[in-house]
Amino acid sequence: MTDKVIELRGVQQRFHARGTPDGYLTAVQDASFTLAADPPQVVSLVGQSGSGKSTIARNVLGLQKPTAGTVTYGGKDIFNLSRAEYDEYRKNVQPVFQDPYSIFNPFYRVDRVLWKAVKKFSLASTREAGEALIEESLKAVSLDPGRVLGRYPHQLSGGQRQRIMLARIHMLRPAFVIADEPVSMLDAQIRKMFLDILLDFQREHRMTTLFITHDLSTVYYLGGQVMVITKGVIVERGPVSSVMHEPSHPYTRLLLDSIPQPDPANRWTTRIKVDESPDADTTAAEAPEPRPLL
Amino acid sequence: MRFLEAVLRTVRHSRRLATGLVILGLMVLLALLSPLIVKAIGGSTDPLELAAYERWLVPGPGHLLGTDQFGRDVFAMVISALAVSLQIGAIAGLISTVVGVIVAFVAGYKGGWIDGLLSTFTGILLVIPTFPLLIALSAYAKNVSLFQVGVMISIFSWPFAAKTIRSQVLSLRSRPYVDLARVSKARDLEIIGTELLPNLLPFIGVGFASSALGAIFGLVGLEVIGLGPGGVIDLGQIIFNAINTGALTLGAWPMFVVPIALLTLLFAALNMINIGLEEVYNPRLRGVAGE
Repeated sequence: MTDKVIELRGVQQRFHARGTPDGYLTAVQDASFTLAADPPQVVSLVGQSGSGKSTIARNVLGLQKPTAGTVTYGGKDIFNLSRAEYDEYRKNVQPVFQDPYSIFNPFYRVDRVLWKAVKKFSLASTREAGEALIEESLKAVSLDPGRVLGRYPHQLSGGQRQRIMLARIHMLRPAFVIADEPVSMLDAQIRKMFLDILLDFQREHRMTTLFITHDLSTVYYLGGQVMVITKGVIVERGPVSSVMHEPSHPYTRLLLDSIPQPDPANRWTTRIKVDESPDADTTAAEAPEPRPLL
Repeated sequence: MRFLEAVLRTVRHSRRLATGLVILGLMVLLALLSPLIVKAIGGSTDPLELAAYERWLVPGPGHLLGTDQFGRDVFAMVISALAVSLQIGAIAGLISTVVGVIVAFVAGYKGGWIDGLLSTFTGILLVIPTFPLLIALSAYAKNVSLFQVGVMISIFSWPFAAKTIRSQVLSLRSRPYVDLARVSKARDLEIIGTELLPNLLPFIGVGFASSALGAIFGLVGLEVIGLGPGGVIDLGQIIFNAINTGALTLGAWPMFVVPIALLTLLFAALNMINIGLEEVYNPRLRGVAGE
């Protein structure tokens, strides 16, 4: 099969929107980057709410067709794949979504999400094998199968539900995990556990993660590569260490200044101005030439 | 099994819903047993036959509700008319719900120009005053079967169901669990059937109840003003006969009062089911907080 590479070239996503000058809202503007599965890595995409980062996730997952530009998997456009290529792409590009509450259909028990993965991707040939697989994956994310299986979503905590999503990833072993703000609704301790599991997956199961977040401290923890996106434009990219220490774009500096530090001697003293007006957009002009990661 | 449990739980949580269901259940039972009841009343003769008994008998032990202008037993007539009315409601309700659900899902899930087209069409049908149109239609339908009447009425009652369900589909289709199903290789029909439809059952139930109600009362309305399609004797037809013959002045009050009482009861029951379902599934309407 083809190389496991996701490539975005000049992706633009516009939505119809009333009240804007031209009737469109541009969520993503000319986004280009490459995600490679070998070697497995973590690539973080950082930006504030409304910066277009979740839209990019939906583009990569094939849930939203970009208005311009291409998303390719193994060199083929993901919206134009043959049956076998589509199966391969789906198997290898899987999400963890932001909201652990609405990711489960309230009508069904949580087991169904896992069984669906088993059946749709033919992970096990017998019921026993499927059960064994589900139990193994739940244990891999530190969940007690006896305490979560057979329950309804509302009977589990947010952390448990989000870890069931990770168990699903563990079962599917995709080459790419598209994690769209997976920890923004978890408390601090569960968050660290979640990130550690992601890092374990990267090491043990060779998964590349596109980690989308608004929180630079989690990016710092994960390491790897980082891209900073604001107002739909990727303005900065590079290894986490260099972007963190020598931010070249003013927006990145703003983000870095916004990380709270648990140090009473180092309290926030200055106010940060968050510019909401679209006219003050100088970011596109200042964006450095996009260079491919790696 | 799980579905039954859910239904039972729902019913237990709303006294209104339970009351409505019990009343409706009793009426349906009565309608189902109507051939037996009619037989029990008539004995060897058919109490619905013209001139089966003497005309305008007052209510008494032989004829609980008396007889009408043709000498038919009113009690037997009311019971079988109730069955007819309920059947019309069921047929029209079923057709409107099925059409409404299909239109709603196609429009809501597909979106784009299909949605625009279907929604505009639904909107047009919604604002057309249906009653005059029904009057015009019934002028062409003199000797029609029960099923045809149901179809005729449901032409105008599906848009309501379509409208409410479409808005729900619109809100549900962007839920993350739909996205998750899509990345799990579920097809559109599968998503509609297994992810969306179960969550919409209460709305579909409400749609069915209100279309059925609308159909029954639409037909009664037509018949009371004497424009009902011939060949179908429902509760409205009996009311019309009562008005037309001046039954009240002849002491045959049950001919007028009993059908109206039954219709009122039916109306109350279906409305209680509607409100009860909405109460259970729309937490903002819940009387007391908590499960």
